[in-house]
Amino acid sequence: MLIRHLRRFACALAMTALPLSAAQADTFVFTAIPDEDETKLIERFQGVADYLAEELDVEVRYVPVKSYAAAVTAFRNNQVQLAWFGGLSGVQARRLVSGSEALAQGAEDESFQTYFIAHSSTGLEASDELPAAIRDRTFTFGSKGSTSGRLMPEFFLRESFGEAPEDIFARVGYSGNHTRTLRLVEAGTYEVGALNFAVWEKELADGNIDTNAVKVIWRTPGYPDYQWTVRGDVDERFGEGFKDRVRTALLELDDPELLASFPREAFIPADNDDYEPIRKVAEEIGILQ
Amino acid sequence: MTLAPTLRTSLIFLAIALAGLMVADISITAVNPWRDLGRFFLGMVTPDFFSYQGLATALLRTVAFAFVGVSLGATFGFLLALAFRWRAVRMGCAFVRAIHELFWALIFLQFFGFHPLTGVLAIAIPYTGIFAKVYSEMLDETDPEPGRTLPPAIGAWLTFLYTRVPQCWQQLCSYTAYRLECGLRSSAILGFVGLPTLGFYLEASFSQGLYSEAGAMLILFYVLIATIPLWLRRPLLPAYIVAAPFFLGDGFPIVWGNVTRFFTSDIVPAPLRHGEGMDGLLVWLADVAVSDALPGLWHTLVLTQVALVLSGIIALVCFPLISKHFTGPVRRTGGHVMLVILRSTPEYVLAYILLQLWGPSMLPAIVALALHNGGIIAHLVGRQSSTLQLRPDAPRGFGRYSYELVPRLYRSFLALLFYRWEIIMRETAILGILGIYTLGFYVDSAIQNIQFDRALLLIVFTALLNLVIDKLSRTIRARLALQTLPTC
Amino acid sequence: MSGLELSNLTAVFDGRAVLGPISLKVAEGDRVALVGKSGAGKSTLLKLAFQHGARHAALVPQDLGLVQPLPVFHNVFMGRLDERSLWYNTATLFRPFRRDRQEIGDLLDQVAMGDKLWQPVAALSGGQRQRTALARALYHRSRTLLADEPVSALDGPMAARVMELLRARFPTSLIALHDIDLALAYCNRIVGIQDGHIALDRRADELSESDLLALY
Repeated sequence: MLIRHLRRFACALAMTALPLSAAQADTFVFTAIPDEDETKLIERFQGVADYLAEELDVEVRYVPVKSYAAAVTAFRNNQVQLAWFGGLSGVQARRLVSGSEALAQGAEDESFQTYFIAHSSTGLEASDELPAAIRDRTFTFGSKGSTSGRLMPEFFLRESFGEAPEDIFARVGYSGNHTRTLRLVEAGTYEVGALNFAVWEKELADGNIDTNAVKVIWRTPGYPDYQWTVRGDVDERFGEGFKDRVRTALLELDDPELLASFPREAFIPADNDDYEPIRKVAEEIGILQ
Repeated sequence: MTLAPTLRTSLIFLAIALAGLMVADISITAVNPWRDLGRFFLGMVTPDFFSYQGLATALLRTVAFAFVGVSLGATFGFLLALAFRWRAVRMGCAFVRAIHELFWALIFLQFFGFHPLTGVLAIAIPYTGIFAKVYSEMLDETDPEPGRTLPPAIGAWLTFLYTRVPQCWQQLCSYTAYRLECGLRSSAILGFVGLPTLGFYLEASFSQGLYSEAGAMLILFYVLIATIPLWLRRPLLPAYIVAAPFFLGDGFPIVWGNVTRFFTSDIVPAPLRHGEGMDGLLVWLADVAVSDALPGLWHTLVLTQVALVLSGIIALVCFPLISKHFTGPVRRTGGHVMLVILRSTPEYVLAYILLQLWGPSMLPAIVALALHNGGIIAHLVGRQSSTLQLRPDAPRGFGRYSYELVPRLYRSFLALLFYRWEIIMRETAILGILGIYTLGFYVDSAIQNIQFDRALLLIVFTALLNLVIDKLSRTIRARLALQTLPTC
Repeated sequence: MSGLELSNLTAVFDGRAVLGPISLKVAEGDRVALVGKSGAGKSTLLKLAFQHGARHAALVPQDLGLVQPLPVFHNVFMGRLDERSLWYNTATLFRPFRRDRQEIGDLLDQVAMGDKLWQPVAALSGGQRQRTALARALYHRSRTLLADEPVSALDGPMAARVMELLRARFPTSLIALHDIDLALAYCNRIVGIQDGHIALDRRADELSESDLLALY
């Protein structure tokens, strides 16, 4: 009885090793940093996948990930070949994968902004400078790896107060993404937050913000942000000139609905040097070593 | 009159927890926590089972990962149990089980990526360590006498197979089945870091406030766990084990170069990688210690001690709910349902929910840990209390509780609580990933910053801390002569 | 009132009637000894008597019903849990009041257990445990005693001393005893049980040892 069980068990275990390496040989896979709610991301990038498949004539698949770092790691591990990164995650990814390059950015990404928002109970008002009265409030960033949700707001906070965020605020949190930052400040869970301006403007236009509960109190100066980054070795894998075809496809994307889901006016050319300012800030703050 | 040692120990831990409560960061920062909690419960009672077509797949994957992970863990655990008298094996097993499944998953994600092997190994490795220990204890406790009655010179292996294994076969089986339940919980939370199990969808629904969708997932998960005795039948087991690997999903092919890179470069401390030598390494180590390890350690310890004592209090308050000495069968069923929900909901999920509702502080984590662990202990203590025979003229009500039952059950209760001390610590560390400043927070930050050397060092530090607590717990249990069965 | 009245008690075990129907009236002042072979149904009768007629009585069950991990003091104190307030009982669990320590200490001295006040019951011998359970019954306020072989683990002089204490303390009692001498010496009424029925019910002073031997 016992022996029979053990033998069956061993057979079963041997089977486990088999189906693991069923590789999908040449699907072009891309990912994106999870900077917004999942349903929005899937809706947006499924559209991009369909568009690219048609333009590039290969199978294209989008994989959702749970963190900014997971997007970078998947790119680095060659499990995805293309990614929609933020400024910081793009810099991180291109440092780790030599030969990879920024292909295109949104028209808005040349001069992107972070909005500082506050719950109405704080009594904080919009101003041209970062209000000193945010000191000792509770504050939330977006994801730890976000450019507009963490890196740049931290940079401006340090510049303005000369202190680390932990010393400025009573409590510092990381909401995870921009939509959640908006919801948490709107609900009063945090008094102040910093988020991607494009997310704010889009949610505002869609009527999804209770403007009696939350308002913008400061807009940062512009900085470069999101971009499409591709691995350097895609030509070897998908054929000569593949990278250029991807670039062209992205730049020619003009479906208004798809663009609105990002939300971007259009995609324009970008290169690695555009993101030097981000690299410097990240090194200054100690996120990049 | 002097206090009994068990009582004295309890009071010392209570005092530590009260001191911890003084320094702990505890508050409800949400403006409207009760409205959100109300919406959450509304979602739970109006579950939406059809909004998400991937739900069935998610449940199937959750079961598949649990099955494959636990089967592998059980097999290797059994083999290692045979070699458990070697110190190296014992220490190795203790070390791998001191690292939480989620940490293992985070490590494998860095080089296997979204391959099923990541999830399978994240469960199989720590479970191997646990199985090896528990199996070897069960084998050791069997009566050696039958072995001596066997004919001489039949060899160690046959003696083992004919005398040791049959004596504890029933225990081995029921423990393994019990571990499968734990495996389901582990499998579900792996979704929170991106594997295709229930947690993946649960996180997505919760973060968007889709409580009816999340409610449906939780309810299905409870049903799945509560019905284990119905679908986990011995004749079906081989079929399940054979089928499970085919339901793990496909993921992405492994690139072996990534594995090499991870071990030869990523986890080598940055100063060594950059050729800064010993001096650089010391500076780096000091930096990790001061800015990550020590603050993380402090918060982890405070949270653990408070959660431990609160777990105990909840267990003591709740066990009468299912004790036949207090309530009738109908109300007892209600108590059972409540405790099943508490113990089937992984701490991680509970903490995640409460954090969403109450805002960030240690409070959601403390409450989540205490509810889950208190629920488990209450269940076991309550069950034990029902086996006690009281004298017919035993007092009723609180007199019965405080004079007849608690004194009889207190030692088992304390044994369970101390056994769970190390488990609570392990979970506390991991809850940092949700944004509470325990060790997991710093591990997650290092990973987000793509500093795997730092992340791994902190994970090893967390594991060592767990080993210390485990040792301390065993010392206390030995001193108080407390014995218990393992829980998870 | 401390008497008890039992009517038509029956007990069925495994589909077989093991006791009764039995009716028995115990008036105030009756100190009844239940005698008979082991297995005759004495213990069953006592259990039923407690459930159906004498919930207020002090009880010494055969298995004593002690809480092993608690000290002797608390096990005895439990005899009067129903009289005190919640906070009093709770506080006593952690730190007994001097008055109770004194009272229970004195009570234990009477059964030669005064030195064992703070010993956990788990550490006691069989005879000491039995005396603890007896002390709990003596501490109880009831004027009625139900006891099942209360002195089975005690030596002769100690058994006599305890029976004397019980006689002095409880005007009414129903005690299962296999020791005929003790039954005749300390009880005023003898009820003999045979095969689940009452085979004899007489005043003790009308009986001699030989009358009872017929029951065995």
